[in-house]
Amino acid sequence: MMQVVFALARREFVRFVRQPQRVIGSVAQPLLFWLFLGSGFSSSFRAPGMENVSYLEYFYPGVMLMMMLFASIFSSITIIEDRDAGFLQSVLVAPVSRMAIVLGKVLGGTAIAMVQTLIFTLAAPFLGLSLGLVPLVMLVAAYLLTSIGFAAMGFFFAWGMRSTAGFHAIMMVFLMPLWMLSGALFPIEQAPGWLHLVMSVNPVAHALVLLRDPFYMTPHQMLADGRYLLALAVTMAWAVASLLGSMARVEKREKGIGLAG
Amino acid sequence: MIKIEHLSHVYPGTRKTPSRMAISDLSLSIGKGEFFILSGPNGSGKSTLFRILCGMTLPSAGSIRIDGHDLLKNPAQARSLMSVVFQSPAVDKHLTVAENLRLHGDLYGLNGKDLQDRLAEAIAWTNIKDRLNEKVDTLSGGLARQVELAKCLLTRPALLLLDEPTTGLDPASRRDFVATLRSLQQQRQMTVLMTSHVFSEAEDVDHVAIMKSGLLLAVDTPQALRAGLGREMVVVQSRNAAALELRIQADTGLHTRRHGDEIRLPETENGAGLPILERLLERYRGDIDSISIKQPGLEDVFIHLTGKTAQEIENESNEGTSK
Repeated sequence: MMQVVFALARREFVRFVRQPQRVIGSVAQPLLFWLFLGSGFSSSFRAPGMENVSYLEYFYPGVMLMMMLFASIFSSITIIEDRDAGFLQSVLVAPVSRMAIVLGKVLGGTAIAMVQTLIFTLAAPFLGLSLGLVPLVMLVAAYLLTSIGFAAMGFFFAWGMRSTAGFHAIMMVFLMPLWMLSGALFPIEQAPGWLHLVMSVNPVAHALVLLRDPFYMTPHQMLADGRYLLALAVTMAWAVASLLGSMARVEKREKGIGLAG
Repeated sequence: MIKIEHLSHVYPGTRKTPSRMAISDLSLSIGKGEFFILSGPNGSGKSTLFRILCGMTLPSAGSIRIDGHDLLKNPAQARSLMSVVFQSPAVDKHLTVAENLRLHGDLYGLNGKDLQDRLAEAIAWTNIKDRLNEKVDTLSGGLARQVELAKCLLTRPALLLLDEPTTGLDPASRRDFVATLRSLQQQRQMTVLMTSHVFSEAEDVDHVAIMKSGLLLAVDTPQALRAGLGREMVVVQSRNAAALELRIQADTGLHTRRHGDEIRLPETENGAGLPILERLLERYRGDIDSISIKQPGLEDVFIHLTGKTAQEIENESNEGTSK
């Protein structure tokens, strides 16, 4: 089974690397977002409890989250394209476990997101942020977990779709808000009551905790912090639920209805 | 190899459309090593049958066994015996020919020396041997089809399913593809089931099935189907076809048709053609360049059975693919 998973994941990655526009876009777009929004809001931004943090710095983990979301969206769109082109059918009729089909796609999308976020991590010293070895490992683990969560969620939505236009709608009204209301753009604490409520039940907000804390806390502090542990549990649950949901969707075969009489 | 029993499939309706019966109590058996063509107009149920056979759709009722394995209950085993060529090319255009083949090998758990041997075998008959490192994108339609077929042969399937594989190919590539397929099938003792609406492709296969409205109208060898029609036609070629046609009409009172140099006499019962031929030859020998009795083709059988002309089928099919 691992042979199938890696073969499908490798295909995703090779396709990504072969399209230079995609590579450039995926690195440049978050960078531009970060520099433009980060610099633009810098003067007006003041988060409670984070008085010394510039917006550029505040937004930094948020941009990472965005990279993972976008990597997931792009790889989910290829599911719809594969179905259109016919490639997906040939995978479906092969004697491979349905789980391998999901894992292959998700790992491929995750690998792409990992490369992007790892490159983006190089910007940390310029913000005056330093990372010890253990926090770096915890950060990379958080990248991995979050990327898998997003990629699997994208898979779940894209699987039944027949058109990329339909997926864009899902992306704009569902996936983007998950990111916007995760605390990536503004702190939960400052949001008005109703929004605060929405944000606090957003699972993606927990992933942001995993991405932000390694820059500011020691591993000891994190593992002793109930907030961090909760975030870890929720993010894991979210990733696993998305994977299971995707597998259930792939498992389902199109079915005729029973005969009358 | 394939045993279909009492298969029925009903598509669930939506709020606006009622449910639709696509296949109705169909039983069919295809022997090992046969080249079998399934044809029928659009909406006849052949595509539904194809999707069910490759394990992508579960039927409403009935059973299917592939070499003894229950396809519906235990698809994994049946899947490992077969390879499928879909109408839309299932190769990844961004990957090279070799990468596509290896990826397919990975899907079927092939590796090492075994994979190398099979790769060599799978491309031995193709024209893509020296283009393995080119992206599929850069190949012509005919060559891309060869990649697809090579990919499927890699797994040494006992059963090869093809869904209108020649759609979009020019007539020469189409002929090449079918001829190649036929010889590969005979060399490797494969069972081949192919859907098609191009009758020239079906003339020398083992069995042809014709479907309409979810029912099997006929299953037989092409020879038997043609003979079953029981009709033939005398065809005359002449340099002065126009003048000759008028004389024939005046003398015999028969309703002829002319296409350029060719005069076609009305269809007759089997055996009635020969006396007509002799009579024409006796009277007009000087004007006749050639004269023959034409047996009906499968296309004529199809029109007779389904009440549709090939042109209509072709048009419907083009609408179908441009959707």
